[in-house]
Amino acid sequence: MNSNANLWRDVLVLFGLTGWALALPSYGSEFALSMALTCLMYVALSTSWGFFCGSSRYLSLATSAFFGLGAYTTAMNLDTMAWASAIALGSAIAAAVAVVMGLAVLHLRGTYFAVLTFGMAELIRHAISYYEKSVHGTVGRVLTTVPEMSTIYHTVLLLAVVTVALSIWLRRTKFGLALLGIGGDEQRAQTLGVNTRWVKVAGFAFTAAVAGGVGAAMAVRWTYIDPHTAFNPFIGFQTVLIALIGGAMTLWGPLIAAIVFSILAETLRLQAPQIYMMTLGLLLILSVLYLPGGLASMRWQTFKDWYRDMRQWYKDTRYEWSGEKARDKQRAKERRIVGL
Amino acid sequence: MSASEKLLLQAQDVTVRFGGLTAVDAVSMNIAPGELVGIMGPNGAGKTTFFNAISGVTPLTSGQLKVDGRSLTGALPHQFAKRGLARTFQTPRVFSDLPVSENIRFGLMFAGRRPRKYVFWGEEKGVPWALRDTASILSVIGLSELADLPAAAITPSQQRVLEIGMALSTRPRILLLDEVAAGLTEIEVEEMARLIRRLRDELDLSVIWIEHAVKVLLKHVERVIVLNQGKKIADGKPSDVVRDKEVIEAYLGDEMVNDSEGLT
Repeated sequence: MNSNANLWRDVLVLFGLTGWALALPSYGSEFALSMALTCLMYVALSTSWGFFCGSSRYLSLATSAFFGLGAYTTAMNLDTMAWASAIALGSAIAAAVAVVMGLAVLHLRGTYFAVLTFGMAELIRHAISYYEKSVHGTVGRVLTTVPEMSTIYHTVLLLAVVTVALSIWLRRTKFGLALLGIGGDEQRAQTLGVNTRWVKVAGFAFTAAVAGGVGAAMAVRWTYIDPHTAFNPFIGFQTVLIALIGGAMTLWGPLIAAIVFSILAETLRLQAPQIYMMTLGLLLILSVLYLPGGLASMRWQTFKDWYRDMRQWYKDTRYEWSGEKARDKQRAKERRIVGL
Repeated sequence: MSASEKLLLQAQDVTVRFGGLTAVDAVSMNIAPGELVGIMGPNGAGKTTFFNAISGVTPLTSGQLKVDGRSLTGALPHQFAKRGLARTFQTPRVFSDLPVSENIRFGLMFAGRRPRKYVFWGEEKGVPWALRDTASILSVIGLSELADLPAAAITPSQQRVLEIGMALSTRPRILLLDEVAAGLTEIEVEEMARLIRRLRDELDLSVIWIEHAVKVLLKHVERVIVLNQGKKIADGKPSDVVRDKEVIEAYLGDEMVNDSEGLT
């Protein structure tokens, strides 16, 4: 593998993007800034999701649970805690829950795993609702001490950069190779000496830690928080969609897709929310059908192939609709050649 | 050192049950260093299940397993791999997305990892020269030219060889081969058998080889174990085993005995 050349390319791209994102608050409008914030949030979420779920092919739908756990940690502790430690605590709690959850469900594969993680996310959401109702007597919380927008932006930016950097690095380590092996053939990886149980749990916990941290930082964007906004399953689904459309196996795919998405989201969601959802669905269908490797797998050759396929399809259709095909069949029959 | 301590693999009364079905029924087997042992038996005799049991893939219902004098009963497959037991699968299970060389590197990174001479650099200690790195393993199995191709792109028979290479990349002391010659042409089967013998001789491995093609197996192995309906019915030199009454009844038929008259 020429991973060394790619390593420098990846690091430089990350460096450039970071600089760009750092400079944004000084010239961008408030609208651009909030768009960039959503974008960075999804960059962190789907990059970490893609790192674990993409390479090990364990489709997790629990992102919203970890995100919500992080958000609730901030909501409960921000009055008494420093900003940085609240975020660290949020991500630690999410990771701890992921370890427990992982030990319980990571021996399942495929659909079962996906459904179980979704079920667990719902379980956590309802447990928090119940706890809030019975202990504090309320459903939601109002956040009073809220840091400045620039603090939130820089925190989320830091989280996104760290996530991408870790993803760049970990993909080249033994750990990343083990996850790839688990995705390829779990039992084979095991017989080659991988302790698959711990590798899976560690990868899952990494995803959860990032989601928890991002949730903890994003919680303050809403001044009022209740379980239904914090644990919104849509956040989890959108993370998965972004990673899949961008290319879950690739490093830059989730990032590219996250940028495309946040632009789509901010421009379409306000004017036409239904159209936004439909676009999401359509993009997913198109990418599954025509770009199984995701946006990041697109090359010049891909367009050439599409063009070639389209021409072939046009030729075939014209041949059939013009009646030429039926006539050819008839002629073949007359010549007693069966089955042309 | 007593005789039992020298044994590399000791399986005692290995039993595997799936619900009411006893797939492997109290099979015992000892393998000494450097042995080339064949396992044969009719379809459904429990050969592969027995393999799965002694490599940790399928948990034992009862029985004892010792690799290199240490008990591994109930251990997970990666612990078996770390103790020097490597296996191949009946249908090649290579990582088809990864290049051939990465498939080999995978095992070297995990079960094949050994301490280095100077902690972080220098050659790895206690490793056969032929298995020192990815390139050398590829040249041992003869796939050097295909190193950069994705494993999905090579032919099924090459994938079988790659499977063996992946097993070797864990730097094993015992190699379990599950029908590596199935579906190969006669020439390829002969090449495969020669490869196996060469590996055994050069790398000082113990090899256990399951094969359906009885003739090839009997020709190359030094000891053969016959399973039938989960039970061990014979264990000995090929020339003796083919004359065993029970084996003939269970499996071979008279024709085979006449064919193998040449074997002594």
